[in-house]
Amino acid sequence: MKRDRDDFEDDEKPQIGSSSRTPYTISHDTTTSSYPNSTTNQNPYASKNNNNNNNKEQDRFLPIANVGRIMKKVIPGNGKISKDAKQTVQECVSEFISFVTGEASDKCQREKRKTINGDDILWAITTLGFEDYVNPLKIYLAKYRDIEGEKLNVPKQQPMEQQQQQQQQQQQQQRMHHDQNSPNIPYNSVYSTANLITQPPFISGDPPFPLPFSQSSIQTGSLPQHDHVEDHW
Amino acid sequence: MRQPGAYSNLLSGGKTGPHSLPLARIKKIMKKSGEDVKMISGEAPIVFSKACELFIEELTKRAWAMTLQRKTRTMHKEDVAAAVMETDIFDFLVGLVSHTPNPSAPLES
Repeated sequence: MKRDRDDFEDDEKPQIGSSSRTPYTISHDTTTSSYPNSTTNQNPYASKNNNNNNNKEQDRFLPIANVGRIMKKVIPGNGKISKDAKQTVQECVSEFISFVTGEASDKCQREKRKTINGDDILWAITTLGFEDYVNPLKIYLAKYRDIEGEKLNVPKQQPMEQQQQQQQQQQQQQRMHHDQNSPNIPYNSVYSTANLITQPPFISGDPPFPLPFSQSSIQTGSLPQHDHVEDHW
Repeated sequence: MRQPGAYSNLLSGGKTGPHSLPLARIKKIMKKSGEDVKMISGEAPIVFSKACELFIEELTKRAWAMTLQRKTRTMHKEDVAAAVMETDIFDFLVGLVSHTPNPSAPLES
């Protein structure tokens, strides 16, 4: 059975140094190198990390490892994806982001708004023909907004499993909750997601017993329902 | 199967958290799309993180269908290009996937 000589399963092969990635002038049968900075293989072009053009190029695309992982999820287990296919999809994704952002940005300009928000993205995605994505995205966004809303009601020093105490404090903070019930205030902050996205889930080994006072020594900023997002996604 | 690239997260300048694509990188790409893209809310990259995942999945499934037509098990760039050509909503990608291999070739009438 004829076997493809293309490299596959290979994410660390050094890339061409120019800012234009197509067309390739090298053949596909170079052996793979497992070290991103290796210059010992036969590829005459600069390796991935020691060239300004390459760094800029990486900024233009999502990481190929992430892209490749998502691709593999939807093909059969014995399927293979060549490196050039992954790179092409990588480029397409960036083009998709630009395309949708451009539409969303135009809409904001027409409506004299300065900040592109999640709803603008949803609108642009629908307008450009990807309306099938909208329902899953709305669900995803709603979960995220739930968590952000919870985050505003719960003091930062609470660990995840002390939910009894959290509920008591939630009742105390109902007033705050009402004040912040306006749908736009929690969501338009540009950096409001910093805590959400940069912190790993907090998993404590402490036994879950209720305390009469807040644990000010534990400053995790984590969220009681943080793991809900991970369960689904 | 090799581990997901630890380097990719470092290079993107941040952790991905519960989302599978790096939000900081998404934001950079958004900003590059136009001069008038200035302020981006915190949730926009989050929406894109999921939208890009759905986009990659759709493009890959369609490309795989092309791969199967070639009766092979390795997806190539040509399969992705073919999937783009036959899908209307991927029209914006046509210029990206079809490049002339020899731009200096003389054009014939």
